[in-house]
Amino acid sequence: MSEDPSTETAEETRGAYSWIGKNVTKPDALEKALGATEYVGDMVVPGMLHGKILWADTPHAVIKRIDTEEAARVPGVHAVLTAADVPGSNRFGLAVLDQCALAEERVRSVGDAVALVAAEDEEAAEEAVAKIRVHKEHLRPILTYADALDPDAPKIHDGGNVFQHTTVRKGDLDKGIRESAAIVENAYHTHRMDHVPMEPEAGLAYVDPSGVLNILVGTQYPYRDRRQIAPALGLPMNKVRVIQAPIGGGFGRKDDITAEIHVGLLALKTRRPVRLVYTREESLVANTKRHPMAMNFRTGAGADGRLTFLDGDIYGDTGAGVSLGAYVIKKAGIHATGPYDVPNIRVDTYTLYTNNLTSGAMRGFGVMQAAVAHESQMDQLAHKLGMSPLEFRLKNCLKPGLASSTGQLMNEGCGIEATLRRIKDYMSARDLRFKRPEAAS
Amino acid sequence: MAIRRGLGIGSMYYGIGYGFSRADIGSAEIEMAEDGTTTVYSGACDMGQGVMTVVTQVAAEELGIEPEQIRVVAADTGSTPDAGPTSGSRATFVQGVAVQNAAAELREQILDMASRMLECPKENLVVRHGQVCEIESGREMVSVGKVAHQLHFHGRRAAAWGWHDNTTADVDPETSQGDAYATYGWATQLAEVEVDTETGRVRLTKLVSATDAGKAINPVAVEGQIEGGATMGLGYGLYEQHILEGGIPRTNSLAFYLVPTAMDVPDIECEIVEVPDPRGPFGAKGVAEPATIPTTPAILNAIYDAIGIRITETPITPERVFFAIQEARDRGEFEED
Repeated sequence: MSEDPSTETAEETRGAYSWIGKNVTKPDALEKALGATEYVGDMVVPGMLHGKILWADTPHAVIKRIDTEEAARVPGVHAVLTAADVPGSNRFGLAVLDQCALAEERVRSVGDAVALVAAEDEEAAEEAVAKIRVHKEHLRPILTYADALDPDAPKIHDGGNVFQHTTVRKGDLDKGIRESAAIVENAYHTHRMDHVPMEPEAGLAYVDPSGVLNILVGTQYPYRDRRQIAPALGLPMNKVRVIQAPIGGGFGRKDDITAEIHVGLLALKTRRPVRLVYTREESLVANTKRHPMAMNFRTGAGADGRLTFLDGDIYGDTGAGVSLGAYVIKKAGIHATGPYDVPNIRVDTYTLYTNNLTSGAMRGFGVMQAAVAHESQMDQLAHKLGMSPLEFRLKNCLKPGLASSTGQLMNEGCGIEATLRRIKDYMSARDLRFKRPEAAS
Repeated sequence: MAIRRGLGIGSMYYGIGYGFSRADIGSAEIEMAEDGTTTVYSGACDMGQGVMTVVTQVAAEELGIEPEQIRVVAADTGSTPDAGPTSGSRATFVQGVAVQNAAAELREQILDMASRMLECPKENLVVRHGQVCEIESGREMVSVGKVAHQLHFHGRRAAAWGWHDNTTADVDPETSQGDAYATYGWATQLAEVEVDTETGRVRLTKLVSATDAGKAINPVAVEGQIEGGATMGLGYGLYEQHILEGGIPRTNSLAFYLVPTAMDVPDIECEIVEVPDPRGPFGAKGVAEPATIPTTPAILNAIYDAIGIRITETPITPERVFFAIQEARDRGEFEED
């Protein structure tokens, strides 16, 4: 059974196609290679103003007053805007509308935008931003998992700091523990990561002669942008057009609203085209990041090398806005077993608000973190049982007819065994061996 | 220098698409002009990974024309239909089917008109390389452009709309049981590392990525995804940490927030595995996230293989490894050379 189950079927179909499976050149390859592609940061239109954002400088505070008069007097400045100037709901968010385009009475993280400027050039915009005075009263920031779980801690949003609790339950956990010959228990901590797309957030907006607000933006989903921009700015949805500009990477962060509402608001207020391009430093602070997670996992296997149970808790820090965090962390819980047949499961996940930077979608979407835990557990169990990590995975991996952690029956599209066998073949062809456990080598 | 080498693997599965009852749709319009050139209005954003190329190839294959005859207009609420977001490794899997559906319908319109023009039963005709051909003889009867011209001449659009719904019901709120995703991506990676036991520095020296693409519509694009994914996975494992103190970022420039550079990225071997998925276009599914997830776990396991120490916290900085070695030494558990 060392043959790769995928090879035959793929070979059967190959050759029958004219274009599928062929290395057709990307239609945009030449312009990208020539450097001819115009990203938003390269675009210049007549009469264009430059937008700039004043970010919060403290993670948790009450805004008492914002003084903009001095900023508005900087030569070349066309608008200095705060939440009071937003004609619509001022709200956005992918799971719930818990983020403000411009901070209202509260600042909830240093990624919150507080005020906006549009000016003739970047320098004037920067000077004006520096002259905005925000009077605020500091609040105790919620920064750790423990703080967020404390029911007596200050609430970041009205519903409390535990935004969501999900549960995975399958089989009989006690039975699984009883049947285990080896049990491994560990606490894993993963960190906050930025997407660092080559192109930072950027948008260009203008109101066309028919009164439609056009927004060119590096985005992953123009229709959902429109769905969020229109109510935030008090416009009917058919008066907002969102066009994906050439994009220098997204990796999940441009699933969210980035520059859209801000640049749209500036264009509406000034009736001039406005371009807003983040610096790298702004990009590293604003918008979404990858969720830090704390994961406590206990996993067992029987003397026969078959997995018996998973007992786990996952805590995710979604920051000041939930964004897609509730789905990210729920997905981490569902995927906590990894691609294996685990008959008995208890997993709880917690999506926690904090005053840290907002976390949201990022390539891997919760499974990145879960895999750090489940794959470390797999190796430790294999070592305890004196089995090769590869053979242990082959023995336990999902196959057609077996069910995932959610009871979903696997079918013909189940490829984990094929990927493991491909690695096994690669290793044996080159005589590569794991040093541990010694018994298995 | 005390360098130790180790090998480790990491595996994963990843639910493709949205799940949780979230709308997970694709849609596209396809239109053939009188000269046979074709435009696909596809709502899916290309972020550099190549969904525009996938859309082109799927449309060319299904329609029977050359990719050079196709132009894709993408992701604009003013001109393209809603195709959902490009995320969740879903664009190829979901939008690919929507485009396939649109192209198939347009092909039927062409064959209907060609059948009338040629006074030949439709069942005997096929479109290949831009020509309507007789199936039995393989003889080229008429170009698709001429057929499209006739369609336009008769006041028809030579256009079709394709849609695909990949939405899956949410799992049970108490137990999370249920069919969570329409399908799953699968991947296993093998990492080879060098650990400097004096400094704690870990270097990834080789990576082999076996990623299931279902069917690689464009193998070079899949390799690009695999290499990019592994590089991002490497960054997550060893370098990229956004540090906050009191809620304030201390790593808000690329001088402090470290991303992998060309010097850090080893030889990455792409092993494209193809287990066809009948729900994807021509058996294909997404690879973006499956190609990213296993790297850090494989590195963690390779470090254990090298030095016998289990690191449980990311990123795996030299300090973290250095102090883990010191602690193991203090306990008398470190395997000295």
